[in-house]
Amino acid sequence: MKTVITALVFFTVTVINTISAQSSYEKGMIKAFELWKTKTPDEAINLFERIAKAEKENWIPYYYAAQVHITTTFGTKNAEEIESRLTKAKSYLNEAKTLSKENAEILIMEALLNTAYVAYNPSVYGMTLSAKVEELYQKAKVLEPENPRAILYHAEWKMGSAKFFGQDVKAFCPEVEKAILYFEKEANNIPFYPKWGKNQIGRVQQNCKS
Amino acid sequence: MKLSATLLLLLVFNTISGQTTITGIVTDTKGIAIPGANIYLDGTYDGSSSDEKGNFSFTSSENGVHTLVVSFLSYENFSLQKDISQMKDLTIRLKEDVNSLGSVVLNAGTFSAGDNSKTAVLSPMDIVTTAGAAGDYIGAFQTLPGTSTVEEDGRLFVRGGDADEANIYIDGLKVFQPYTATTNNIPTRGRFSPFLFKGTNFSTGGYSAEYGDALSSVLLLNTINEPDQEKTDLSFINVGMGVGNTQIWKKNSLSINAFYLNLKPYQEIISQRVDWIKPYESLSGEAVYRHTMKKGLLKVYAGVNQTHFNLIQEDINTPEGINFKLKNRNTYLNTSYKGTLGNDWSITTGTSFANDDNDINIDNTDVNNEENSLHLKVKLKKRFSNRFKLYMGAEQFISTFSEKAQADTFGLFRTKFDNNSTAAFAEANIFFNKKLAMQVGVRATNNTLLKYTKLSPRASFAYKTTSKSQISLAYGDFYQNPGQNVLKYATQLEPKKSSHYILNYLYQHNRKTLRIEGYYKTYNNLIKYDTERPEFSSVYSNSGSGYATGLDIFWRDNNSIKNLEYWASYSYLDTQRDYNNYPNRATPNFAAKHNLSLVTKYWIKDWKSLVSTTYNFASGRPYNDPNQSIFQNRKTKTYNSINLSWAYLLSQQKILYFSVSNVLGFDNIFNYQYANTPNSNGDFARRAIRPNADRFFIIGFFWTISDNKTDNQLDNL
Repeated sequence: MKTVITALVFFTVTVINTISAQSSYEKGMIKAFELWKTKTPDEAINLFERIAKAEKENWIPYYYAAQVHITTTFGTKNAEEIESRLTKAKSYLNEAKTLSKENAEILIMEALLNTAYVAYNPSVYGMTLSAKVEELYQKAKVLEPENPRAILYHAEWKMGSAKFFGQDVKAFCPEVEKAILYFEKEANNIPFYPKWGKNQIGRVQQNCKS
Repeated sequence: MKLSATLLLLLVFNTISGQTTITGIVTDTKGIAIPGANIYLDGTYDGSSSDEKGNFSFTSSENGVHTLVVSFLSYENFSLQKDISQMKDLTIRLKEDVNSLGSVVLNAGTFSAGDNSKTAVLSPMDIVTTAGAAGDYIGAFQTLPGTSTVEEDGRLFVRGGDADEANIYIDGLKVFQPYTATTNNIPTRGRFSPFLFKGTNFSTGGYSAEYGDALSSVLLLNTINEPDQEKTDLSFINVGMGVGNTQIWKKNSLSINAFYLNLKPYQEIISQRVDWIKPYESLSGEAVYRHTMKKGLLKVYAGVNQTHFNLIQEDINTPEGINFKLKNRNTYLNTSYKGTLGNDWSITTGTSFANDDNDINIDNTDVNNEENSLHLKVKLKKRFSNRFKLYMGAEQFISTFSEKAQADTFGLFRTKFDNNSTAAFAEANIFFNKKLAMQVGVRATNNTLLKYTKLSPRASFAYKTTSKSQISLAYGDFYQNPGQNVLKYATQLEPKKSSHYILNYLYQHNRKTLRIEGYYKTYNNLIKYDTERPEFSSVYSNSGSGYATGLDIFWRDNNSIKNLEYWASYSYLDTQRDYNNYPNRATPNFAAKHNLSLVTKYWIKDWKSLVSTTYNFASGRPYNDPNQSIFQNRKTKTYNSINLSWAYLLSQQKILYFSVSNVLGFDNIFNYQYANTPNSNGDFARRAIRPNADRFFIIGFFWTISDNKTDNQLDNL
């Protein structure tokens, strides 16, 4: 009898724990996205980091912590801030990579990280990181040929270099069309799995007009 | 049963009512509040961010001992292990992360190039797109202050030191013959293709205890760890052609490249001042293999090079000229491993080996020499914290040299020596805070050939004066063995010695850099001999000495003008030395008082072209006129040269390249050679030493083939 009750108690507590952990994960993630939306990116990053640390084996919160840092650098010109944010983003992505190997979404985010370096200081990073960005997109596409973010952002990256070398930017417009199609098809059951990017189509398509 | 019920109650009670409030304040080391720091209990969801006043408060249902973690951008993480009931009114002081961009850097004496350094003055691309450098990485460093323009030599002359006073290292291991074989007044080049390197450090003085046997300067080249992609590079230029290929598989990569250079067709078109019987021809091959292991990286580099030429050099004492024939064969191997050992220890170890064989014929004298050199090194690093790191290491140099000279006048003459050195070094790197840092080290060297043991202390300090500027100081003692040309005849000698005192000011803001460095350098125990050049019968001594003092200024601006990057270097040098066969202290021929370089790179978008120009100026160089009573009393006219290069991108992977040195054709004179005996009027006749040709043209086509169509060879030019 004793053992049964102990076992029962133990079991119940475990179940309750798992349930409450699940819900705090969801609650936390929702809250973090809210913070990001309400223009308090650092609060959002802090929360993503806390969730990542508590979850231990989930790459998703690390991924978003990196993304918030990367996107935030586009709005500032302070070199010191940019460098420290990108360094931090890199370490988050490294954590994410150890938890989930061969992950197309992480590779895409890594490509964006390197793009941020190039955008911040083209004369130093342009030459050294351009090949790396290209490589990351290609790897991501091998893993997930229908990933709309890989296709859209790779197209945008190629448009950028075509512009720089005075080549035809519109050559990459069919890729954008493909991305639109894959955004529609996109389906994933894992909660909070990356699915952003659809609202960027318009911006990228600007290059295809006129 | 009772027990179980209690247990159940206890558990329930705990989960429901165990709400502890954790409060405190986060500040920096000076007590200034840090808003936005992340505070949480490790492994739980409980946490919060600090508010505008640095205060934080959150509740947790945990109990017992937990770890509280506080993190904030560009500060070191803080953690506290405590019973959470006691986590109240905490005062947490975060230390600034000394690795962040705003920190002070120990940079006195050093120029960094590459992407990882905070004080990098040149990007990897600069090293090879500098006009006049013609793909030679040494050429780009010659536009930095502290170097003297010695065009007829091609090597690095740093702060009043001759070219033998500078050592070159690849991945921390010595390069024994860094330059291609040549002869008097035919400029040499670096042996290695620039695309192998990802970063370089060029120190013009006061360098780390890790490096020895160099009086003036060290150039540290680091090879690429992981190539980005598989590719094939083809290059066709008017003086040769090359092919390269990179393969990547699993945790391995292999890059190979080969280059064939032949100046014959070129010299048939462009007239030369030298009478070439067989123009310069060389074939070189390089291979780099890299293997990533669980805890480290292994790199193996192998390079072979064969060079030969035959020419008649003008000589004032020999009207028909002197015939010089050379065949050189050089093999270089470099293996290094870098890895972690756990517990914040890491190891860098490796070995380099060189075999250099020369077959020389000067008129009727045959000289055949061979040198085998080996460098073994192990270096350990212990990271106690971001603020305190300890480096220590040991190295062994083994070299044997043998030479056979034969001529009708003196018959067969053999020389041979073994030159072995053992050295150990230790260095501590200390950051007191983000503003003040120090590095102190010591190096001990024992040499078996000259039978000495020497201790050389090294120290440097840096202090950040404002967010944009810093000052730094460096001091060091440096020893170097006499050169091979002396050692083959005399070994009862001491090593040469120099001491450096350096004061540096650095300003960096908005992609603009100003660097001003003043220095004073003393020379002691320099080698003297009593004949025109070192000979078997010469009397050798260590009685030479000298000094060098000067000011180096560097300015770089990548920001003010769109699509234009430029840098300007100015060096003032005051130096005198008594060495070799000098009768008294004098300024050597290679040391011009003023050196100026202006380098520009302009990207013309509409023409898809990168246009680079380099202007070099040097004031007159001292030379000795035996018609005068004072030694080294005269000066050549000033040196001027404007170099131009144009890289045109046919497409992203095809580049057309054109470069010309000394566009305006300035008639430069480096030195004069005087007759050994006076003519009938009692005057010594002379001959000017001038470049072999006023201009040098390069036309090339570079093609990169890869799946990824963005890479090109712009960084090889």
